[in-house]
Amino acid sequence: MSLPMPVPTTARQPLWYKDAVIYQLHVKTFADSNGDGIGDFRGLSSKLNYLADLGVTCLWLLPMYPSPFRDDGYDIADYYSIHPSYGTLDDFREFLEAAHTRRLQVVTELVLNHTSDQHTWFKEARMSRNNPRRDWYVWSDTDDKYRGVRIIFIDTERSNWAWAPESKAYYWHRFFSHQPDLNYDNPAVREEMWNVMRFWLGLGVDGFRVDAVPYLIEREGTSCENLPETHDVVKFLRANLAEHFPDRMLLADANQPPELVRPYFSEGDEFHMAFHFPLMTRMFMAVRLEDRKPLVEVIERTPEIPETCQWGIFLRNHDELTLEMVSDVERAYMIDEYARDPASRIYLGIRRRLAPLLDGDRRRIELMNGLLMSMPGSPIIYYGDEIGMGDNIYLGDRNGVRTPMQWNGGWNAGFSTADPERLAQPQISNHQFCYQARKGESQTRADHSLLNWMRRLISVRQSTAVFSRGTTTFLMPANHRVLAYLRSLGREQVLCVYNLSNSAQAVELDLQSLAGAVPIEMFGRSLFPRIGELPYMLTLEPYAFFWFRLRRL
Amino acid sequence: MVSVASDSLLSDELLHHLMAVGHVDVLVGVPTLNNASTIRSVVKAVHQSFARYFPRDRTVLINSDGGSDDGTPNMVRQHGSTDDTDTVTVSHSLRTVHRISTPYHGVPGKGNALRQIMTAAELTQARAVAILNADVTGITAEGIAALVRPVRDQQYDYVAPVYQRHPLDGPLVTQLIRPLMRAAYGWQVREPVAPEFGCSSRFITHCLEQDVWDTELGRVGIDLWVTGEALARGFRSCQAGLTPHPPGPPRASFGELFEQVVRSSFDCLERHAPYWLERNGSEPMAVVSPPPPTPVEPPTVAGSRLTEAFARDIENLRSVLEYILSAETLSTLERVASRQGAHLRFPDELWVSTVYEFLLAYRSGVMRRDHVVQALAPLYLGRTGSFLRQYSGAPEEVVEEALESLCRDFERSKPDLIERWNKSLR
Amino acid sequence: MAQMIANAIRQAGTNFVDSLAVFLPRMVTTLAIIIVGWLIAMLLRTLVRGLLGWLRINVAAERFGVAALLRTADLPPADALIGATVFWLVWIGFLISGIDVLGFESLQGLLESFWAFVPRLLLAVIILIIGLVVANFAWRATLLAAVNARVPSPRLLSGAVRWLILILAGAMALEQIAVARSVVLTAFAIAFGALSLAVAIAFGIGGGGIAKRILEHQFPEQQRSSADEISHL
Repeated sequence: MSLPMPVPTTARQPLWYKDAVIYQLHVKTFADSNGDGIGDFRGLSSKLNYLADLGVTCLWLLPMYPSPFRDDGYDIADYYSIHPSYGTLDDFREFLEAAHTRRLQVVTELVLNHTSDQHTWFKEARMSRNNPRRDWYVWSDTDDKYRGVRIIFIDTERSNWAWAPESKAYYWHRFFSHQPDLNYDNPAVREEMWNVMRFWLGLGVDGFRVDAVPYLIEREGTSCENLPETHDVVKFLRANLAEHFPDRMLLADANQPPELVRPYFSEGDEFHMAFHFPLMTRMFMAVRLEDRKPLVEVIERTPEIPETCQWGIFLRNHDELTLEMVSDVERAYMIDEYARDPASRIYLGIRRRLAPLLDGDRRRIELMNGLLMSMPGSPIIYYGDEIGMGDNIYLGDRNGVRTPMQWNGGWNAGFSTADPERLAQPQISNHQFCYQARKGESQTRADHSLLNWMRRLISVRQSTAVFSRGTTTFLMPANHRVLAYLRSLGREQVLCVYNLSNSAQAVELDLQSLAGAVPIEMFGRSLFPRIGELPYMLTLEPYAFFWFRLRRL
Repeated sequence: MVSVASDSLLSDELLHHLMAVGHVDVLVGVPTLNNASTIRSVVKAVHQSFARYFPRDRTVLINSDGGSDDGTPNMVRQHGSTDDTDTVTVSHSLRTVHRISTPYHGVPGKGNALRQIMTAAELTQARAVAILNADVTGITAEGIAALVRPVRDQQYDYVAPVYQRHPLDGPLVTQLIRPLMRAAYGWQVREPVAPEFGCSSRFITHCLEQDVWDTELGRVGIDLWVTGEALARGFRSCQAGLTPHPPGPPRASFGELFEQVVRSSFDCLERHAPYWLERNGSEPMAVVSPPPPTPVEPPTVAGSRLTEAFARDIENLRSVLEYILSAETLSTLERVASRQGAHLRFPDELWVSTVYEFLLAYRSGVMRRDHVVQALAPLYLGRTGSFLRQYSGAPEEVVEEALESLCRDFERSKPDLIERWNKSLR
Repeated sequence: MAQMIANAIRQAGTNFVDSLAVFLPRMVTTLAIIIVGWLIAMLLRTLVRGLLGWLRINVAAERFGVAALLRTADLPPADALIGATVFWLVWIGFLISGIDVLGFESLQGLLESFWAFVPRLLLAVIILIIGLVVANFAWRATLLAAVNARVPSPRLLSGAVRWLILILAGAMALEQIAVARSVVLTAFAIAFGALSLAVAIAFGIGGGGIAKRILEHQFPEQQRSSADEISHL
């Protein structure tokens, strides 16, 4: 196979991902250029200015490969091309070029763990027991191997084994039964995956979000998650990457507690980044409880990671708000508080977007985004959340949070010129969150819109490296409704203070060690009284927060 | 800093703490005075209860200390969280658990400690409050939850504990306070004089408005008063199992204890006379969560030791008793007393009229009130000794039935008490 | 002679008439004073009894044990007793004033000494009453404490306490009205000494045991009585 011509890229800064603000989007639902109701790369290219203006520095695209779309593209039928609905490889190349000229990095999906059952590899493998591809998947004559391994999609799957009648055997799948797991004990599979990576990296892709990492390898008597052999696979891919494309990035999707994610950073020789799932849950929990405890706890439980590594932190993404990794008590609380409507529950989580989760309350949306932008890690914004888009929990699976982007008040909210019933997903029609109420381009013009507020927030965050690279020290004022921490990097110090509650709060911060510094509020550049020996008294409106740059003046 | 709150109930320091605590759902109050040997286990149980049973609730533990010199307040403040002993995923408070230890001001005594805790509960708008006894180690997380839950979840205003204990245990309760309170207030409360209870913010607001706090009753008999007040003012009350019954080491001699408890109960009855004079019979009080059945040992004291001196006491006290008791009761008493030692049988009816006549004498002031109560002590010992001996070794159900029958005798004689109460001096 | 006799008689008659003229108005005045005084005294008694009834003196008397003492001495209840005392004091006052009006030389000064005596008498009565109250209180307190502390012979002990206080109060009262000071003093010394000796001997005989028990009561931690062996609550 011949490698395609690489796209010329802007020079990537080393460790660029550590300072990134990532924007996660789905080509299918972002912008449609040809009026077929399905978003495509040409459409996406036309909206790059919007994204650059927002201030994000990196785009993360959901799977764009040929696929039967039984899991929204995570069931890949061909790793080497673009789904025809989204355009051609050339369209992709043009998009990549346009993005790079706007200093936007592009991260795509790498679905390692499984393929679609429509992939030719699997089609061949299942035909007979002695097919050369047979070994690319995990087979068994019985369905009682690896007993006790948990089932992830408990709502739809009864077993991790599925029957292949053609060759009379069971194949292993951790996700849906139409997603057979690849066999990474087979070196040929590893080599092939590296080829896939090389193909896209060669085109100019800046990194991969690697899907379902913990499940690559199976061993009897284990949970088949986070096995040492899995780390060997990752190390193999990283070593190749380091050799051929040293400035690219690997982002691990491992929904695990931070102490179990930590090994995926290893000594800086596996992943560059990994999602911090519990932090996301705890942010929602803290705001609902009006108590900083869950947040402080999770950060304090989070282990140190190597210098070249970074956490990927987010409020919402294309999946459900996962509650897999929390205690029963916490899960029950989150369900009761955020998913009163049973229709909003799926698997062990909640299928909702940010704005509806927070009842469309602008103060809480701002507070949560403020938290996201100041916590240690690179923040990830899910498309539409910057304008407070709504969801439709009745669309099945998690499609409710994957509805088309709302651009303006026009036809199909400016997403597509197709007939509305042809759209990849129906638009949100709930009057609180519909496109007449929440739309990107008109928010550009309104000074006080959420979109403009988000732009300011991102630009303030990006004005200093202290948020992306600094250390985090919690202050523990007696008032537990107030979360306060100090981010420091060298001489640069930023004090963040949040009122997590729905009532005005007074707080006394012990800032003796910072005596003499002058706090400057970062949004309005207002001066605050100089810090002295006495406790520093602040009052905060409901859900209000302050970011202070501390200056020695 | 100049304290402007020097004579108010809450110190500046406590106010400062409460500002940080804010509103709470569950407040547990622990009055202490030199409880270094037991306080750790109490604090631990409180934390376990918060973690296991109220993980979502805003909680606070307030220790009101009467000036301990054994470091009790520090033990409360420094007690490690129990999270490290419990698996995080099994039981874990979602919220910050506040723990405050503060001295109370004014006259030493449980009343002022309770008053401070109740004031704090009012300020923090606590939905449910449990008051615990710091003298014992037996208190469990389940017991605390049992006191809190009926208030928190079922809109009860007052929760009295029920101990899992042998019916021969606690004779001052079973022979005197329980039947007396039951007959008077018309509610079948098993432990009217327990130092633990649960209550609602509504009840607390009511209590704080009463003028009991600066009285002797408020100082030494607040437990009893709280029970009486809840019953007399029609607060929705129930009982909940507290296990196991924690037998605390006696802090006072029998004499002091007897005087405090009996005086308090008589004072209560006097305060609440307008209520109970109108009431007849008695209703059972719901037991929301009975104590888990654990086998209990009967007390080991032989009743005969208590009755040894009975006849002599009656003889010696005759000149005092004749002011208190009616001629008929006194002569019956003397006849009973003349049957010595092992043969002493103090009949229920005689005990009922004795208690009622003492109550009437206490009220009408035939002599100093403490003398009235002191004169009752030997009679109580005689009655208790007689009862213990009669029923030692009997099955628990038999003893329970005997106690129940005594209660009914108290109820049966109540009309007579009411008549004499209304006719007597004043 | 006859004339002298007649003169004398006339003189005597004149004198008598004169005296009578002088005495009769006095007599009438005296009678009036006595009658009015009686009326006033009666009125005062009624007033005082009413006032005392309103103050519930009988309850207090009952409570402090005075009533019991009055009963033992076959005296009327406290309010009646005080009323009667007031009546007699006032009426005697009027009686003496009335007699004084008659102008008998020998009775001169009686009024003065009576009025000088009344305050001391009152004081003595008050001392006696206080003594009674205190004695009675101390008696009962001792008796109850002794019974409850299991001290032997509680009645002897409390009786001794009561009589010591009563004798002391009696002596002080007599001292106030200054009746035969030396006799009172001697009598008191003898009685007090005798009682003290009696108590001392009583304690001496039972000595060891009592002292031990009292000490035990003072330091209850060291040993508890049988009543303390069970958990009463």
